[in-house]
Parts: sequence; C-alpha cells; structure tokens
Amino acid sequence: MKIRLEQYGAILTSRPAGKEAALAMKARLRPAEGETVELDFEGVLAVGPSWLDEVLRSLRADYGRERVVCLPTKNASVAESLKAIDAAR
Amino acid sequence: MKTETHTRIVDIIRKKNGSRPIELIKELGLSPQAIHRHLKSLVASGLIESRGRGPLTRYFIAGKPQLDRARRWQNSAAEPAENPEEFLCRTRDAFTARLPRLASFAEAGLKRDDVPLVVSAAGEVGNNCFDHNLGAWRDVPGCWFEAQATGGRLWICIADRGQGVLRTLARADPALADEQAALTAAFERIISGRAPENRGNGLKFVRSVVGAGENRGLACRSGAGVVDYGRLGPECRAELAGFSEKSEGTITLILWSFA
Repeated sequence: MKIRLEQYGAILTSRPAGKEAALAMKARLRPAEGETVELDFEGVLAVGPSWLDEVLRSLRADYGRERVVCLPTKNASVAESLKAIDAAR
Repeated sequence: MKTETHTRIVDIIRKKNGSRPIELIKELGLSPQAIHRHLKSLVASGLIESRGRGPLTRYFIAGKPQLDRARRWQNSAAEPAENPEEFLCRTRDAFTARLPRLASFAEAGLKRDDVPLVVSAAGEVGNNCFDHNLGAWRDVPGCWFEAQATGGRLWICIADRGQGVLRTLARADPALADEQAALTAAFERIISGRAPENRGNGLKFVRSVVGAGENRGLACRSGAGVVDYGRLGPECRAELAGFSEKSEGTITLILWSFA
C-alpha cells in the first residue's frame, strides 16, 4: 500500500514532525500480510534525514525492513537523506 | 580615468560595507551626474548591486552578503535590543513555516533541482538549533533565519543564542577537548547531544550535500571553533570572521552559487 507523503507537508525535515507523521501513518495503515508499504514522495518539496529516519525507523520496527520501500523519485533530497541514514547505521 | 574612479568607488563600497550615492559624491568630490553614471556602469558590469529605492538606495558589492544585523544580534553579550520578527523564528513551527521561502529563490536563478537540497540542508541546520537548545536558551529563544540572493549566489544565515556545540555534545562525549573538536565532531561523527535518542545524522547530511557540488559551501562557528566544508566554504568562513568567538551560540552560513 502506498503512503502519499505530501499529505504530511511539502517540507519534511524535523524529528518531531517525523515522529508525529509515523504515529499518524501507523494509526491508519492496515497492510495485508506480506504487502509492502510504499513511501511516495510525489509533491514533496524537500525531505531531511531527521524526518525520514524517524518514519523509516518506526515503520520498519512494525513491518520489517524489507516491507518498507521508498519509491523512486528525482527529488535529490530523498537520495541524500537515505544515504545519510544508511551511513549512520 | 574611468577605471580609476570605478576602482575607488568599489573600494569605498567595500570598506563601508555599502554606500549611498551622496556619500560617494562627498568623498570623491564628483558631481551627482558623474557618480550616477559610474554607478550605473558598475551595476551593468555586475560588480555592484543597488538595494532600496529613492534617497534610501544603497550600493553593495555583488555576491557578498549583508550580515550586519545578524552580527549585532549574535555578538550582543546581553539580550539583543533588536529582535526583528522578519528574521527571528522564536519557535520550530515559525522556522518550518518560513523554510518554503527558500524555494522562491528559483526565480532569482537557483537551479530548480537544487531547491530540495537547499531547503533540506537549511532545515537540518535550523532544526538543530531547536533540538539542542529547547529549554536552555541563554536569553532570546529561537533562531535567526535570513536568506539573501546577490550576484548570482544565495547566502543563508542561521544563528542562535543557545548553549553552543561543546556544551551540547560534552554530555555525549566528555572527552571532547574544546569547541573546535566539538564542532568537527558535530559535522563529521555520528554523535548527538540528545543521546541515547537516535539522532546525530543531520549535520553529516548537510556536510555531504555541500560537498557534493562545486557551487556550494558552508561554514559554522560555535565559540572559538570554526569549520568549513565545500568548495565555497572558505568564503563562508571569511564572512564569519566578523562574528565574535566570545558568542556562546552557533552561527552557520550556507553559500549556494546559481552557476
């Protein structure tokens, strides 16, 4: 199932906002067993590693690393944020 | 003769960090018509820029930021007398609400593909001010957030009157020797003053972003510590020279060329 991140704002940068977004996502998410959770960045202006780390950490804790997927995007802040998050692990 | 006068005008503007035509008329002893002719020519050549209108028009060196107000605010030992609401974001929400303004610099020449990186880098720096000083501001809460486009470049200034990086990170690593070591650790190591929370990747991200292109740089000062990253980092560092090392907060300058 797909999560349209633009629903959470055009600029997704802070940890408090990431925590809040993750809680809101999990309150609504009801993926079928084995179904992937796809993060769609269409319409988002900028993402920061702090926000994205909070969301990925929270979703992956519930659904597993393999089931949470970031959909491809041309937004350079997404790739850079994912690089920073992976480097920190 | 023309070249010599141009050089003198540029020198005066540089030394005074901006000048009005009337000041140049008095200093150089030339007619108003002659000064305006020279100024027009210098603007056309891209060496200087005008700001303001009518009698308030001032001329500045193109490509250089105007940081006088930020400097006064940051350097003030006591609570600053002037806290302009146009630059001061007293809460994280206020800062977040102003971040989208950076996107408008695409109309001034910032590449559209660079906008997300500029916004997210500035966002991480500004959020860092709140993450590490919430409940511990020295006097004025919040961060100074100012962006200026000049001479085909975007300057972003983010400052706070908080505790500074050393006090913040010493909680996580008491072995940090001084402000320089703390600032270097903040940008180069995975370390957070809010351990055991999982934090500490924001400034590494910012360093990576400014290092990923020839048209970028940043410098950050916290007390006596200063670091710069990216090809344009040394220019940012030079601009930070006017910010006092006795100031206990942090000041970050990001420079992004449109070229």
